Amino acid sequence: MLVEFELIQKAQSGDDAAFNQVVTAYRKRIFGTVARLIGRPEDVEDVAQEVFLRLYYSLDQLRTWEVFEPWLYRLTVNASYDYLRKQRRRNESRMADLSEQQVMLADAAAGGRVNTEEQRRRQVKEFVGSLLDSVSEEDRILLMLKEVEGLSVKELEKIYSVKENALKVRLFRARQRVLKAFESSNKVVKRPEAPTD
Amino acid sequence: MVNRSDRELDALFADYRVAAEVPEPGPSFMPRLWDRIEKRRSFAFQWKRVTQVFVGSAAVICLLLTGIMVVPRTAAAPSHATYLDVLAEAHPTENLAAQGIARFDNPEASR
Repeated sequence: MLVEFELIQKAQSGDDAAFNQVVTAYRKRIFGTVARLIGRPEDVEDVAQEVFLRLYYSLDQLRTWEVFEPWLYRLTVNASYDYLRKQRRRNESRMADLSEQQVMLADAAAGGRVNTEEQRRRQVKEFVGSLLDSVSEEDRILLMLKEVEGLSVKELEKIYSVKENALKVRLFRARQRVLKAFESSNKVVKRPEAPTD
Repeated sequence: MVNRSDRELDALFADYRVAAEVPEPGPSFMPRLWDRIEKRRSFAFQWKRVTQVFVGSAAVICLLLTGIMVVPRTAAAPSHATYLDVLAEAHPTENLAAQGIARFDNPEASR
């Protein structure tokens, strides 16, 4: 726990200064999780604000301090999921508006501005993003929490309030789907190269 | 069983962890957060007011309708007449005689 339960209790009773302290303590962690879940740095602040906004209005429902962090994770997961769902809908309509040539020009312009390291990072992000398109938004987030955030199945169990076995099955299936997409991408496109240092 | 693709996928996820940039919270993060909290709070307050007005007016309408339903019935109810009086008033002997239900003795004919 990054904060004492007394601070959370004060925030629960409407102490705005205490709530500010809770936000300050968890801000960085939530930024990191949101950044890795949604993969778009420009929207991280907005989604993180949504997480804390939901926290503010649901804080009175919290009964025990042990569940505070899994609960905050759940709010993060839900806000990221809502963002990804909206983003997918928006992307579908936006890409339909652009001609193929416009898309190529935009890609070329973006590529010219970045250096090699940034380009590689972008490739990794895009590649992982395309692999994760093979699963639903829920499974994408679940996989991200497990594989990238490094959460254990026990921690995920607390966040999702789902039995361990059901979670394991869901994780296995999602990973298999991504693995299949990964293997088939080996045959079609060149994967981003690992850094040479 | 972990095969080569599994290991490569793990490495890719590890790369992604490094590649995903984590922006620093800007100086406007907290003020903007409080703006959003206040905006929702005022919306919730207005919504509460609207629902209170709605519930209040619904209760008044209910009372009014109940009054309309109950008052005329009590006014129409007979105050002291018995059932037989009401029946006799509704069906005078002349009518019953005309329908052949009762015998009508004409007082002039019997004279």
